Amino acid sequence: MGTSDAGPSVSHQPDAHYDRVHEAWRLILGEEFHYGYFRPEGIGLADAAAALTAQMLARAEIQPGERVLDIGCGTGHQSCKLAAEHGAQVLGITTSGTGVAAATALAASRGLDGARFEQRDGTDNGLPDASFDVTWALESSHLMRDRKALLAECARVLVPGGRLVLCDIISRRKIPFLEVRERREEFALLRAVYGDAHMLPLDEYAAMLTEVGLTVDDLTDISDETLPTFAAWRANCDEHAEEITRLIGADGLDEYVRSTEVLEAFWNDRTFGYGILKATK
Amino acid sequence: MTVDRARAVIVEFLQRANKEYGELTDDLSLYGGGLELDSLEAAELSALLEDELGSDPFSTSDVLPETVGEVLAFYDAA
Repeated sequence: MGTSDAGPSVSHQPDAHYDRVHEAWRLILGEEFHYGYFRPEGIGLADAAAALTAQMLARAEIQPGERVLDIGCGTGHQSCKLAAEHGAQVLGITTSGTGVAAATALAASRGLDGARFEQRDGTDNGLPDASFDVTWALESSHLMRDRKALLAECARVLVPGGRLVLCDIISRRKIPFLEVRERREEFALLRAVYGDAHMLPLDEYAAMLTEVGLTVDDLTDISDETLPTFAAWRANCDEHAEEITRLIGADGLDEYVRSTEVLEAFWNDRTFGYGILKATK
Repeated sequence: MTVDRARAVIVEFLQRANKEYGELTDDLSLYGGGLELDSLEAAELSALLEDELGSDPFSTSDVLPETVGEVLAFYDAA
């Protein structure tokens, strides 16, 4: 949700969607532009977002000088952080040309040589085999229809012993067709706000990781820890209502607030949630 | 004919959903390798068919249709 990447199909263009609303979302989601991990309980969104990144870092175990592929890098915040704070050599990829330009400018403004950006598709990245120590996908996989292609590409570009870390929204139960039909307005609202997202259960990720030749080291459901994100986003909607309305209109703001309520309900009834995983080549 | 009306509803839905498709042959899958509908899109098509034709094969059968032909056959049999 917090990044800009796309599935392989021409008919699904999340990059344009994200480009359009990026500035409004920055006000709502904060600078890190993704969900929060609210532990210890009671921390604010900025600290919680940093805590989620810390969960990824703890699994990635990035060493100075290691090559990291940031898949769905958005506007480069994560890539720059990995380069600046962990000494990684980061290539951020996104299907959004606007995202590449913004990320490149961000790295330049910080004087970072270790972060560069290219317009590439995570499901067919075109990069050399065995050319990265870590592949990093933070909230980008749900926008890639061909999830197995994404994971296969990660496996292909990792060196032996390399690590894949990924966190994203997940599905936590199979939703019967009649329930999808009954709740189609809620699902359609999520599609309108967040784009053409498709959530998978953690065990399906695990099965695909095994199929592409990776060893699954960790699968963790962090739905409870991420649940307070929605209330935090709504608080930001309230705080920045005037500016957000200027950017996306009153209807856009109203849709966003309602989407957080729908997601919160889906979290609470265990339809959707949030997962994090690590696998090794 | 109801079958013709059902075909027109499918076409209307696909245009509204910006779905690319060629000829609507009977064996064309509604899902992967065909129209590529996801579950939400199938639900929306189901509701539209019911709104327009009074019933639909997605919500009145134990087995969900897999192809365009199976949707049309529901109305042909009606």
